[in-house]
Amino acid sequence: MSAPERNSVPRLAPGCRLNAAGGPEDLLLIPEGALRLKGPARTIVELCNGERTLADIVEELQRHYPSAQPVRIETEAVALLARLRERGVLEYV
Amino acid sequence: MKHTPRALIAEITHRCPLHCVYCSNPLEMQRRSEELSTSDWISIFEQAGEMGILQLHLTGGEPLSRSDLTELVRAGRGGQLYLNLITSGVGLDERRLDELIGAGLDHIQLSFQDSEEAPANEFAGTRSHALKLRLAKIIRERRIAFTVNMVVHRRNLERLKEMIGFAEQTGAQKLEIANVQYYGWAFRNREALLPTRQQLEESIEIVEAARERLKGRLRIDFVFPDYYSKYPKPCMNGWGHQQMLIDPAGRVLPCHAAMVIPGLDFPRASEHPLRWIWEDSPAFNRFRDETWMPEPCRSCDRRTRDFGGCRCQAFLLAGDAATTDPVCTLAPTHGIVEEILQRVNGSAQREWVYRIDPA
Repeated sequence: MSAPERNSVPRLAPGCRLNAAGGPEDLLLIPEGALRLKGPARTIVELCNGERTLADIVEELQRHYPSAQPVRIETEAVALLARLRERGVLEYV
Repeated sequence: MKHTPRALIAEITHRCPLHCVYCSNPLEMQRRSEELSTSDWISIFEQAGEMGILQLHLTGGEPLSRSDLTELVRAGRGGQLYLNLITSGVGLDERRLDELIGAGLDHIQLSFQDSEEAPANEFAGTRSHALKLRLAKIIRERRIAFTVNMVVHRRNLERLKEMIGFAEQTGAQKLEIANVQYYGWAFRNREALLPTRQQLEESIEIVEAARERLKGRLRIDFVFPDYYSKYPKPCMNGWGHQQMLIDPAGRVLPCHAAMVIPGLDFPRASEHPLRWIWEDSPAFNRFRDETWMPEPCRSCDRRTRDFGGCRCQAFLLAGDAATTDPVCTLAPTHGIVEEILQRVNGSAQREWVYRIDPA
């Protein structure tokens, strides 16, 4: 599946949502069960609210993680969104 | 080994307007007067969330038969659970669906018995197909995850292609094509329902082609008729490993069918904390992990993948819940399954019997 465009607006598909914050593990709850979110994945998914474009999301992440390489943040975010789209848990508005 | 439960299957009632010939509910069903109260279930859902359970599957019977369903959904969400409703749709309309979604319902699984009305109504023992079609439209118009479930068997597999096309039209994101599993009432009708080997082989080809064609639009799950398997299914992913089921009267079980196994005392949620039942009750520990395993399971490389198969099926087919699942081709009792398959493949279809619902 091709990478999302910078102006595409991602959001979670129906029936997919994050578990409550602050628990023992970060999970994306989906109809078949749950996906475990590691590292910054939860923050990335939280930003996919159906209003921000991919470019907005990357920009916010770069602000959020100022010590990380900006290019690396973009690559990681795009890769995660592509995986979630492939899995059917993310859609574009 | 310590196991964290991940899913709770709540059979909130055995009452059901359908009388499916392959019903998986136990032969002895609970009556309305024995059902847990709203507050009993609310306490169970709170405990479930605290134990780390993620998913709550509300099923029955027909869960819509309980007038407190919306309240139960709200309580489950309050307990941090993911809410799945498994339903025939009978009892649902736009107003009630909106209430359920408003209360936090995440996912709805709607069953169909066939793509065609006459056989669908015949298998369900009631006229419900036309209503289900209207409901599919209502569900699709809302932003909620939607799965269509179709149970397949000897009498409808000839229409599998049409059934897949039908599911596409409903607008669901997922189609579950489930071969009948032989427990409860379905066990009684087994020889009328088991597909022939030829039907099974054709259906696998049809499903594979449809998966390719519908990629990215409709996901298809296929539940295999395990009497034809080489190795047994990893039933419930292991006894007491990930899931628990609570019946309408509050008995806590490792699976849908476990009541058939003699000699096990299944605790009630009203009498013990759920955590004790899961961790310490003798029933949940009876077939947990590997210490109970006989040969050939005990020394088999597959024991960590299929856990010796299904304990209930071992009892139903071989009369011993602690033996290897007879569907396994390595099981000493596998001849029982071969005999059944020979009969099914060598004879015309048998008649089935309809069940009568509890009061």
